[in-house]
Amino acid sequence: MMDLETLLHEKTLVREAPTRSDILSGVGKSGPLSVFYGETFDEFGHPIDSLKYYFGVAYITKALLAEGIDANGTILIADTAAQRNAENGSDMLRRGRERFGLVEEVNGVYGTGLEVMRMSDFVGTEAFVQRRQEIIAMCESDDSLMDLVRLSVPESRRAEEEKKGFLYSFDEITTIMDVHVKVGPPREDVYDRIARSIAKFKGLPPLTSVYFTPTFPLGMDWSYFFAHEGIEDHGITAYKAGSKRLQRNRILIGRSSRSHVDALIDQSFMPSDPSLPNPVLDVGVIAQMAKGCIDGSWSMDGLGRKYRTGELRGDALRSYVKDSVAQNIMERFDDAYATRV
Amino acid sequence: MPTPPGFEAAVHEEFERKRALANREEDYYAEKTDAFGLKSLDRFVRYHPDPSALMHKGVSFAHNDLEGVANAMAKGNPWAVISGLNPSGPLHLGHKAVFDELLWMQANGADIYIPITNDESYVVGKSGSLADSRRIAYEQVIPSIIAFGFDAAKTHIYVDSDYPDIYNAAMDVSAKLTLNKAFGVFGFDKKEEGENPGTMFYRAAVQIAQILLPQYAEFGGPKPTLVPVGIDQHPYILLARDVAERKGFIPPAEMTLKFMWGLDGKGKMSASRPNSAVFLTDSADAARKKIKGAYTGGSVLRAHQEIHGGVPQICPVYSLRSYHFEKDTSLKDECETGRILCGPCKTRAIEDVVQYLEEHQRRRDIARGRIDEYLLRTPLRSILE
Repeated sequence: MMDLETLLHEKTLVREAPTRSDILSGVGKSGPLSVFYGETFDEFGHPIDSLKYYFGVAYITKALLAEGIDANGTILIADTAAQRNAENGSDMLRRGRERFGLVEEVNGVYGTGLEVMRMSDFVGTEAFVQRRQEIIAMCESDDSLMDLVRLSVPESRRAEEEKKGFLYSFDEITTIMDVHVKVGPPREDVYDRIARSIAKFKGLPPLTSVYFTPTFPLGMDWSYFFAHEGIEDHGITAYKAGSKRLQRNRILIGRSSRSHVDALIDQSFMPSDPSLPNPVLDVGVIAQMAKGCIDGSWSMDGLGRKYRTGELRGDALRSYVKDSVAQNIMERFDDAYATRV
Repeated sequence: MPTPPGFEAAVHEEFERKRALANREEDYYAEKTDAFGLKSLDRFVRYHPDPSALMHKGVSFAHNDLEGVANAMAKGNPWAVISGLNPSGPLHLGHKAVFDELLWMQANGADIYIPITNDESYVVGKSGSLADSRRIAYEQVIPSIIAFGFDAAKTHIYVDSDYPDIYNAAMDVSAKLTLNKAFGVFGFDKKEEGENPGTMFYRAAVQIAQILLPQYAEFGGPKPTLVPVGIDQHPYILLARDVAERKGFIPPAEMTLKFMWGLDGKGKMSASRPNSAVFLTDSADAARKKIKGAYTGGSVLRAHQEIHGGVPQICPVYSLRSYHFEKDTSLKDECETGRILCGPCKTRAIEDVVQYLEEHQRRRDIARGRIDEYLLRTPLRSILE
C-alpha cells in the first residue's frame, strides 16, 4: 500500500499537493473525509487519461483508510455542465450516462469502490439551489470573490456567462463546498480559491487540492511540443478525448486498437530531459496504477523511480508501457483490443 | 620589478571597463531580441533531439517563426536555408561559425542556398568591378564553402551575376514592395556617396528574391525556409516576410547569431579590418602572429587575473576557441575564475587554428575541381511562362 505521504510526493503523478497534515486537518470536522474528482466529457469517447483521476481518488482514499481515517472517494460526472456547453444537449446527457457507466465498470474491474454521481441528479434539487443562492449572495457582496468568479471563465466567454449570472461557475463552486480533497488536472486554482474563502467564512473544513501531472497527446514529435508554449504546464484536457481536436492521438477505452495504441506510443516524443513532457511515461503511470489496483498492492511499482534512475528509458520504456496498457487496462474493457484493426 | 604607483588601480579599472562592455553586449542582444519581438532559442534547444554546439553555447540565440521549420525537420519534409555571402575577400573564421550552423541544418534535412552577392559587393563599393568580385567568388569563396563539407546534392551555390534569373525573380518581387517600405527599412539617402540605383535594387529586390528563391515552383514550391542572420538584419527579414505573404509563399523564419569578436577588439571580425580576422587563406605564421597580438578579455597583470579572472564575453580569443574548437562551455568558467591565463589560452588557440587552416586549405585545393557540382543553374521559367 502506497502511504499518503509517498503518494503526494510521487512526481510522475502529482504536480502540486498540500501536505499530509493539511489534508488531515479536515478529519473529524464534518463526517468522513471526502476525496473528489469531477469531469465533463465530449462525444469522442473515454480517454484513458480519465482513469488517472479515478485511480488517484481511489489511491488517496485507500491510503487514508489504511491510516484508520474514515474517507470516501467520489467521481462526479458533470453532465449538466457538458450539456450547457454542447450544441446537441440531449446527446450529451446520453454520453454522460456512458461515462457514468465507465466509472461503474472501473469499480467492477479494479475494486476502486468509488461513489459515482451525475450532476443532473442534484443540480435541480431544492437543497442545491438554495445553497447555490447563498453562495451567489456571498460572492456578490464581496468584490474580490466576484472578481475570482469572473476570472473562472475564459475571457472569450465571459460576457456570455455574465448574462447567465455565471451559473456554470456557481454550480461548480456549490458542488465542491463539502469536499475535503479535490483531485484534478493542473489548472488555475480559481474555483478552489473561491470555495476555500467561503468555507473559511462559514467555518467549514478547508478544501485542499491535489493537482496531477498534465496529459499530453501521444504520437506527436518534438516539434509539436516546441511549437506549443505552455504545454508543459497545462497539457491537454484529460477527460475530453477531442481536446484540441487530438482525438486520434488519444487512447480511447473500448475503441482504440492495440495496433493504433502501439503506433502512438512508438511515434511519441520522449525527451532525454526528464523535466520535459513525456506522454509515454504518463500513460505508463496510469497503467501502473491499474496494476496496483488489480494485484491489491495499491502501489505504483516504482515506475517513476525506474524512469528517474534511467533503468527504464527509451525503447525499453515504450515496450513496457505498450504491454502494461494492454494487460492492465485495455484488454480488461475490450475483448477485441488485440485484434481490432 | 615593482609596479609603478597607481598601475594596479589602472589595471582593475580596465578590468571593470571590460566587464561593463560584456554586460552592455549581453544587454544589447537581450534588448534587441525584445524590441524585435523575437523568441529565445532556449526552448528549441530543450526540445530538439540534438541541437548544434553553437545553439548550446548561446551563439545562435533567438528566432522568429521557427515552428514551421521545426515541423519540417521533425517530419523529414522539405525545407531550405538561405545564407548569402558577399565576396569582398576570402572567408574568415567568422564565416565558419555561420557555415557550421548551415552544416547542422543540412544534416537536419535542409537544402542550403548560398547566393554569392558579387553584385552587391560591387554596387556598395567593396570591390572595384563585377569581374573582380566574380573572380574572388570562384577562386576563393566557393572552394572554401565546399571545403567545409557540404553535400553537393543539397547545396545550391550561385554567383548572382552568373545566375541572371535572380534578376527576373527580383523584378517579380519588387512589384510586391513599395518604395516607402523599402526606404523605411533601408533609409536610402539620395545624396549619400555609395547609394545608387544598384544598391536600392539590390537591397529592396535582389536580396528578397534570394531569400524567396527556394519557394519558386522550380525548387518545389512554397516550403518553410530559414535565414540565419545577425540581429541587426531583422528588419530586412520582415520585409522579405511581407513580400512572401503577398506572393503566397511561406514567410521565411529567421535565426539570429551573435557576431564573433575581431582579434583587434574593435568590433566583429570583418574582412574590412584585416587584423581583426583569421582568414581561411592565412598562412600558419600569419595566423600565429594575429592571435599572439590579439586583444583579450584578460589583464596585463598575472596576479590580477588569477584573482579576478578574465572577461570571456568580449575576448576574441575566447570567442575563437569557443565558437570553433571547444566541445563544451568549461572554457568560460576557466577564464572567469582565472584558472586559465591569456598566454596559454592563446597558445592553445594557435595550435587549433593552425591545424584547422592546414586541413581546410588542403580540402579547399581539392574543392576547386568540384565547383560545378555545387552550382545552381536551374532556369526560372515559372515567372516567364
